[in-house]
Amino acid sequence: MAGVCTENNQAPNKLAFNLEVPFPSECLASIALNSLAPDREPRRGGITKELLVTGSVLTARWTADEARVLRVSVGSFLDHLSLVLETMEAFGPPAEQ
Amino acid sequence: MTVVIGFEGSANKIGVGIVRDGEVLSNPRRTYVTPPGQGFLPSETARHHRAVILTVLQEALDEAAITPADIDCVAYTKGPGMGAPLVTVALVARTVAQLWGKPLLGVNHCIGHIEMGRLITHASDPTVLYVSGGNTQVIAYSERRYRIFGETIDIAVGNCLDRFARVLKISNDPSPGYNIEQMAKKGTQYIELPYAVKGMDVSFSGILSYVEEAAHKMLDSGNCTAEDLCFSLQETLFSMLVEITERAMAHCGSQEVLIVGGVGCNLRLQEMMDAMCKERGAKLFATDERFCIDNGAMIAQAGWEMFRSGHVTKMPDSWITQRYRTDEVEVTWRD
Repeated sequence: MAGVCTENNQAPNKLAFNLEVPFPSECLASIALNSLAPDREPRRGGITKELLVTGSVLTARWTADEARVLRVSVGSFLDHLSLVLETMEAFGPPAEQ
Repeated sequence: MTVVIGFEGSANKIGVGIVRDGEVLSNPRRTYVTPPGQGFLPSETARHHRAVILTVLQEALDEAAITPADIDCVAYTKGPGMGAPLVTVALVARTVAQLWGKPLLGVNHCIGHIEMGRLITHASDPTVLYVSGGNTQVIAYSERRYRIFGETIDIAVGNCLDRFARVLKISNDPSPGYNIEQMAKKGTQYIELPYAVKGMDVSFSGILSYVEEAAHKMLDSGNCTAEDLCFSLQETLFSMLVEITERAMAHCGSQEVLIVGGVGCNLRLQEMMDAMCKERGAKLFATDERFCIDNGAMIAQAGWEMFRSGHVTKMPDSWITQRYRTDEVEVTWRD
């Protein structure tokens, strides 16, 4: 899991944060994405969040105007991610389709 | 045979229930109780739910003696309710639905209460009074919708009771409403409080402000006891609810009343509603605390009805929402 905080070239005033979460399989990474993606950010301007899966890696990308807002969003996401991981641990592996 | 598992956590109760063709196979639940004088906040409530939800889920499966393979559909509360707790529960529901390869179904919390009330009581077409900490609505079914005939224009009746309990530091265990009810039984003096019925609707924030302001003065002066206040508050709030229920019954020509929601456990409310029903030759239906208070099986039951009539929620549409009107759902499972 790597976190990188950089200045976004296109919008010099925005903060950016990227998170890469490796999963044991593509299937599990997709399951996590589908669980985490549907809920909207609590109504707050100044933050965007993008989730995508490439292979077995779930990537989350944020841009934000304020560090405080970014911290809250990233923190919530990590809480939610860890709940999804615990659920997978307790009730996985995925059933044969 | 259709087996549905339901996840509920929109307020301070977290429950997982399993229903099979009208039979409740399991319905474990935990309640987040705060110290006297304090209410429950979204982030703390979510943290509570997060800590116990997987345990409660396993309990539900064990008590029902079923395996995930036996389940046909995973239902969860889409809304209304508190955001953070709703998300916590939805995350688990979405994840297990995918792990088990089962369809997902987002359920309206109010409709969960109604469908469980209908199942348990066999009321055929009642005027429903839905009263809880978060909601106060008078509902009747008509042409594929649960239509709202009357409601609170500000706070729910349960919220009024809960916040009054905080003023007097009444214990929240098992619930503030329960403790107010016990104290009210010992009240001997009726104190006049503001009465606020507005046509088909009710208002509770004025009464709440009044008692919040006046309670300590009245108690300190020794003119009345806390029990008298509990008694008087219940009499006033419940009379208002009986009035708007009766008004809806008159409009609909209804001969049945069904009370659902946590405040529906209150025996004094049931008694007062029953008195009105008897005057009209109508019948009152109510459930006990297993099903009145938020629980997973009610979500499973509503999910059971919805699933069998063709509803399913696609993953990208499974977002939770704090506001979700009872009449937004097309009730395809009834004529």
